[in-house]
Amino acid sequence: MAGSEKSVAFERSGGHITILLGEEERELIANLAGQFRSVLAEDTSPNLRRLYPTAYPDDADKDSEYASLVHEDLLRSRLNAVDTVEATVQADSIDPDELTAWMALLNGLRLLLGTRLDISEEDGFDPDAPDAPTRALLTWLGLLLEESVLAATTFLPPHTHPMTL
Amino acid sequence: MNPGPTPVEIDKPDLGHDEETDAERPWIVLVWNDPINLMSYVSFVFQKLFGYSTVKADELMLDVHHKGRAVVSNGNREKAELDVFRLHEHGLWATMQKDT
Repeated sequence: MAGSEKSVAFERSGGHITILLGEEERELIANLAGQFRSVLAEDTSPNLRRLYPTAYPDDADKDSEYASLVHEDLLRSRLNAVDTVEATVQADSIDPDELTAWMALLNGLRLLLGTRLDISEEDGFDPDAPDAPTRALLTWLGLLLEESVLAATTFLPPHTHPMTL
Repeated sequence: MNPGPTPVEIDKPDLGHDEETDAERPWIVLVWNDPINLMSYVSFVFQKLFGYSTVKADELMLDVHHKGRAVVSNGNREKAELDVFRLHEHGLWATMQKDT
């Protein structure tokens, strides 16, 4: 989707990633990061379910064991990402680890908003629908994530899986 | 998503993950289609977590997209659970089950 078009958010330059976002966009990200932290910390929203998926759909016992084992780790990992984005939201450039945190936040926000909107693959965009602003936000976050994927891919080591060409 | 028939539970405590009684049947890790995650992101995560080539990662991602799911890794229960955790950490919809 982004591909050949000119980047609007992230662009690799040497060992770093330049953040091309404007002032208002950075403020929006900072605002969303803060909201995401609150929702994560409160930990009661049913819209968080996509962030803590079932591991064992056939086995409730094993699944609750898994959930109790990893829930704190998943939460901490996401809160750390929020911290990193807040610390770098005004930066001119970030390193690949910081980009990973940005991606975690962008994707986490998309999962939260997409669940709240009950998104399906067939959904078109209706600018007059009451949820249009949230859908536009979801699309914008997707554009940012696309560009961060393009940038992050250039930092991946050569593939290592023994089974693939 | 259809989890399929429930397997018969063997009566044993399953707190110790190292007690693999039937190691000949490895666990498989599945990633399921979902309408939120971006295709490019899913392929990126497969490359990052499992070291797949771009071609293989795209192939698995397209399987997820078109067939509803794909097996992305396998191994003993401990390894499969770690892979599921890493996929969950990256926001993907992953589950694990005994290979059939």
